[in-house]
Amino acid sequence: MQAYIEGRNINLTFRPPNRGPVRALRGFDIDIGEGEFLSIVGPSGCGKSTFLNVLLGLLRPDSGELTMRGRRIAGPGSDRAMVFQEFGLLPWRTVQNNVELGLELKGVAAVARRKISARLIEMVGLIGFETHYPHELSGGMKQRVGLARALATDPDVLLMDEPFAALDAQTRDLMQVELLHIWQAARKTVLFVTHQIDEAIYLSDRIMVMTKRPGRAKKIFAVDLPRPRDYEMRVTPRFNDLKLEIWHTLKDEISV
Amino acid sequence: MAHAEGRNLGLVEAEDGAGRQSFVERHRQLLLGCLAVALFFAAWQAVFLVVPFNPLFISKPSLIAKALLDLIASGQLLDDLRVSAIPFFYGFTAAIVVGVAVGIVMGWRARVGYALDPLMTALYASPLVALAPLLVVFFGVGVAGKAIIIFSLAVFPFVFNAYAGVRAVDPLLINVVRSLGGSEMNLYLKVILPSTLPYIVAGARLAVGRALVGVLVAEFFAASEGIGYAIARFGDLYALDRMFACILTVMVIAVALTEAVRWAERAAFPWRSGQ
Repeated sequence: MQAYIEGRNINLTFRPPNRGPVRALRGFDIDIGEGEFLSIVGPSGCGKSTFLNVLLGLLRPDSGELTMRGRRIAGPGSDRAMVFQEFGLLPWRTVQNNVELGLELKGVAAVARRKISARLIEMVGLIGFETHYPHELSGGMKQRVGLARALATDPDVLLMDEPFAALDAQTRDLMQVELLHIWQAARKTVLFVTHQIDEAIYLSDRIMVMTKRPGRAKKIFAVDLPRPRDYEMRVTPRFNDLKLEIWHTLKDEISV
Repeated sequence: MAHAEGRNLGLVEAEDGAGRQSFVERHRQLLLGCLAVALFFAAWQAVFLVVPFNPLFISKPSLIAKALLDLIASGQLLDDLRVSAIPFFYGFTAAIVVGVAVGIVMGWRARVGYALDPLMTALYASPLVALAPLLVVFFGVGVAGKAIIIFSLAVFPFVFNAYAGVRAVDPLLINVVRSLGGSEMNLYLKVILPSTLPYIVAGARLAVGRALVGVLVAEFFAASEGIGYAIARFGDLYALDRMFACILTVMVIAVALTEAVRWAERAAFPWRSGQ
């Protein structure tokens, strides 16, 4: 049986002008189940973000197969949406107009857009900030807008590229809790890239540890913590055992 | 003058004081600027109290002011300005449209940029004013000829500023729009143009000055009316008071247009933090 999202033997080499080629992915395999929350952790520059961009349809691999529901991914599509680490909000657009961007590009009428954005702005807790510009928001609020924008087009798969890395520790904790709430309500498939093992365990069903560049899957861990999860789980022995195990797998790949 | 030292106190204190500041304190910058202008004219006038005055070679503010009032009263000044405004409008509008389009495509399409950059730089640096007589021969002495000279001077700040602006576009925003299914046209309209806009407006400030030079040059060479023609004709007639009155008018217009662009710059970009 084919997985919801299936990647087989994906290879991708960057060829920047005036510099040597960089092999980002080599023989990369992945299987993602429908509705699954899968995290990818790996050393910096291992190709995690590269794979997200391939899945998003912004990068084309040199070879290999990547399918979703059995269909080959050939470009961006409204069944996938990304939440970017640096938010990627258009600074000249208000919160509301940022949230509506994807709908606008799809040609959704203004009235319908307004309805959807109003609901999502409420969901991410930004009521009262509809007419604010991004520079008037804190980092956490900006990423709430980023999340609402990604959800606005109602994608099946949410790609998150270190979405909370630019936030302070407390805001990050809070955002993780809220993300789980939203994920449980919306039941999206989530592919979450992070550097933080804690974050990966707390959020995920499974965690893929990648090798250093050129990246491929080194080991996959199932997180058998019950859901709904709460903050206190982070101090349980099971959580910490898993954290240690993942750390040992990861640390051989990290070179300083 | 209790708040004269307000700047040295905390920010809150200074803001509290703002409401109670006197008129002079609130408009200090403007008033000082005006004072300098007034002193300049006073000094000009004063020089001729000691230096012998020959109206054939120089004029003085009192005569210029009188000439200005005469020109306004007779309606001549307004007629000339109206005549000059039309090619200015056409030339400047065309400069915005063509300059922004060319600059954006040069910035976004690397090969177009490589191809056009040397040519544009050469044209920008060349003394286009010297080509004005040629342009007049080609396009005549009417609105079209003037507009083309104005266009050729004003277009380059738009080209180069739009070009620089595009290269400063955040690639992340491009990816955001692409990932949400945006087309090439969406990229231009929803990312590239808006993020380039501040550069374009900054270019407009430069272009205004060059366009005004274009008006004058065009009308020096070939015109029978317009403010540039008026300056040239009064100069030929040694009517220096009226010539200076016209020059002064152009200066005031230049300052007004530049300030208008500045104001537009502040008002149009509420998303920019700071200032």
